Amino acid sequence: MIPTPNPPLEDPVRPHTYDGIQEYDKRLPNWWLMTLYASIVFWVGYWAYYEWFRVGLTGEQQVTRELAQIETAKLASAPAVDDASLWKMSRNPVFVDAGKATFDANCVACHLASLRGKSENPVAIGPDLTDTKWTNGGKPMDIYNVINKGVLVKGMPTWGPVLGAKKISETTAYIMSKHTENEPIQLDPAAAPVPPK
Amino acid sequence: MSDRKITLEFNDKVVRQFMLASLIWGAVGMVVGLLIAAQLNFWQLNFGTSWLTWSRLRPLHTNAVIFALVGNMMFAGIYYSTQRLVKARLASDFLSSLHFWGWQAIILAAAITLPLGLTRGKEYAELIWPINVAVTLIWVVFAVNFFWTLAKRREPSLYVALWFYISTIITIAVLYIVNHLSIPTSFTHSYPVFAGVQDALVQWWYGHNAVAFFLTTPILGIMYYFVPKAAERPVYSYRLSVIHFWSLVFLYIWAGPHHLLNTALPGWLQNLGMTFSLMLWAPSWGGMLNGLLTLRGAWHKLRTDPVLKFFAAAVTFYGMATFEGPLLSIKSVSALAHYTDWIIGHVHAGALGWNGFMTAGMIYWLLPRLWSKPLYSPSLANLHFWLGTVGILLYVAAMWVSGITQGLMLNATTEGGTILAYPNFLDTLNTIRPMMLMRVIGGGLYLVGWLLMAYNVWQTLRGAVPVNGSIEVFEDESGHAQPRALGLVGSFLNPPVLFSVFGVAFACGWMFGRNFISIVGLVGTMVWVVLAFAHYESRGKEWGDWYDRLLISTLPFTVLTFLAIMAGGLIQIIPTVVAHNAASTEDRKQVPYTPLELAGRDLYVRDGCYLCHSQMIRTLVPDVLRYGDYSRLGESIYDHPFQWGSKRNGPDLARVGGKYPNVWHLRHMEDPRSISVGSNMPSFAWLLTRPLDTATLVRKIAVQRTLGVPYPNWTPEQIMARVDTQAQAIAADLKTAGAYVAPDKEIIALIAYLQQLGHFEAVSPALPGATK
Repeated sequence: MIPTPNPPLEDPVRPHTYDGIQEYDKRLPNWWLMTLYASIVFWVGYWAYYEWFRVGLTGEQQVTRELAQIETAKLASAPAVDDASLWKMSRNPVFVDAGKATFDANCVACHLASLRGKSENPVAIGPDLTDTKWTNGGKPMDIYNVINKGVLVKGMPTWGPVLGAKKISETTAYIMSKHTENEPIQLDPAAAPVPPK
Repeated sequence: MSDRKITLEFNDKVVRQFMLASLIWGAVGMVVGLLIAAQLNFWQLNFGTSWLTWSRLRPLHTNAVIFALVGNMMFAGIYYSTQRLVKARLASDFLSSLHFWGWQAIILAAAITLPLGLTRGKEYAELIWPINVAVTLIWVVFAVNFFWTLAKRREPSLYVALWFYISTIITIAVLYIVNHLSIPTSFTHSYPVFAGVQDALVQWWYGHNAVAFFLTTPILGIMYYFVPKAAERPVYSYRLSVIHFWSLVFLYIWAGPHHLLNTALPGWLQNLGMTFSLMLWAPSWGGMLNGLLTLRGAWHKLRTDPVLKFFAAAVTFYGMATFEGPLLSIKSVSALAHYTDWIIGHVHAGALGWNGFMTAGMIYWLLPRLWSKPLYSPSLANLHFWLGTVGILLYVAAMWVSGITQGLMLNATTEGGTILAYPNFLDTLNTIRPMMLMRVIGGGLYLVGWLLMAYNVWQTLRGAVPVNGSIEVFEDESGHAQPRALGLVGSFLNPPVLFSVFGVAFACGWMFGRNFISIVGLVGTMVWVVLAFAHYESRGKEWGDWYDRLLISTLPFTVLTFLAIMAGGLIQIIPTVVAHNAASTEDRKQVPYTPLELAGRDLYVRDGCYLCHSQMIRTLVPDVLRYGDYSRLGESIYDHPFQWGSKRNGPDLARVGGKYPNVWHLRHMEDPRSISVGSNMPSFAWLLTRPLDTATLVRKIAVQRTLGVPYPNWTPEQIMARVDTQAQAIAADLKTAGAYVAPDKEIIALIAYLQQLGHFEAVSPALPGATK
């Protein structure tokens, strides 16, 4: 373990050999030792920051804070939508095309690409969105709210946190582009039954 | 001292057997790997059968590579080198044979049971309990054979390779037994005794250290024997061996929680896992340095010698993987990379590069020495090397690109960070499909290289005669003047051990103590470190002399290794396990499953759903936006085994319950693409036709009760009545939705389970400080 005082040109090997295997006993490389020491110093600092002084936030505190900021930002920037503005959007190809893209990516599994759902294929999961029969209201804001909040008992997921206000407005506009403002609305509450639990 | 020389013949038969077994099982493991890699792009490749389905074969692939390829290779290398390093034949030919045939029987049993869906549902610990018992017994056979051989040794001092073998044998025994503690419910099924966070912690303490002590330490030992042999050069640095061995075995154990970063695991465990993983970087690179620098003065041989090519590349890949490991353990990197293909690339850099190439180098080196014939074709071996290297690089690069791309897409937000940029999981999946295909090509090249080696071995063995190594030894060598072995007192009361033990104790006092203890711990650690350095500077020769004596004392060496590996495990696991469940619930508590849901959960485990779907929403904004409120500890306290998962080939399911109607799940299981266009999930259509097996349900609920799940004391009739009622209700609901399935089918139970995921009861927050 002790370095030779005057190292000869050829490094010495340890006196003992194992099955012919010799061993040098060279110094540990400095950069290697520094890496080890640096990681130990980091551990001390990190532990002190998070566990000793508790300056650093825990994962739960961090995510709660960020989610609160997101909530505030959403409220501040939420576009004021109402039936009238959604009707206008539904006649504007910019919004309708954007809404179609969102619809095709997320909604066709149940409502089909034609939007006709069960009318086109009886085993489809979602109802027809092009006819005048509606389960939860047929005005633009009704559609908007169903997408945003979901109707869990009927199997409609909550898309609000996933899509956000802008995409939901566009998707609503796309659906309403298949309708006209003064067509009749038949409410049909007897569609799908409530699943157990 | 007797002068009579005797010739000692080694037991090389068992070495030959293990070596060939490693070659053959390795090929099987890789073929399965290639198939499941291809299935990720071409879901049809299960040919409609349950037992060829991705989620059944993935455990077969991992178990085959770990326990069959590396296991057999490790035993070959350990038995070959140990006999020569201690100048003694293996203690018992019978035990050697039993070890070999027992291990092959275990592998065969695994290859049959895993595709049948017989599993414990914990990664790399999937084998069912009767096989666990067999593994434990065979491991004891191995340990007895090994230590008995050490006891009969003619070389008093233990070479560094043997240190690594000793640490392997004792650590794997501890890890394996603790992580496989379970209560059987039938001959083929059992529930682990731990649940939820405890099970998660124990699982990754095991999973991480299986990598450490099954895939790393034995192979480092093999490196320390075969690399200097093949290079015909001295090992670079003995003192580096000492430092990196002890720091590696001590630190490795603490790092397990880095598999659970940003999850519901208590923060102090996550912080331990991350910081100890970073400290592990240098010890790991110590092994790489000693391997690579041993080649100094032999680099010219690499041009001609395929053996050295494989060893040099293997050690380089080891260095790469052990740099990547600490990097991935940083919490913010983990937030991006965890659950993605990056992790898959990381483990394959280790498995294909380090383990696979060490195996190949060792086989090419051993072959002409174990049979009386030179290698059939060195140029084929060179071709194997280049195919393998290109294969690994393609594989790993594809997985980096794939993992980072998917991670960035999943975490990307838009509209001022309030909304996910890619809300549809399938968008991210379909972006990485070309990369997943490139992985198949890389893996395919590697397999072709491996098969070339098999052909080369086959041609070499044709007409070759097995030869056993032998040496001449003096019958009685005890007459040599030797330093005295250490006794009990000498093993513990000496500067190196005392400085280490008290140093760790002070550091723990600082980390886990409060107020006064904490201050004492911090000051004590600093003073103690200074004292230790001062003592070493002034009396370093004592340390070296003591270590020389330790090397001739097998039992003290083993005990000290055992203590080093136990420290981290005890400090992390005991507080988590003994803490009452109520203390680890946070503000929510899981509702126990109904009998039908429990049966569905067992199907979820049987079909390996956890291998692609996590049930753990991390404390990260993108996770919460995508999957819902972050998961609490209490929400899985009755989960035997936990199902937090480690990879998201599909979306997280922690809160999928109630999100979709029952018929959605039915259609999705029958034909995933009818619901999720572009999905690569296999069809699980057999769930719609197979009747649910409820024969063991009564026994299962009894075992769950024993394990502390608060089920009422139902009679068997009550249990079956509950199953019937709930199944009828789901079948009726499906019928009104236009789908007819009889209530006794497996799919009904699985739907019941899936619809329950995410249900909890609110409880008052746990006692403050309960996690510390």
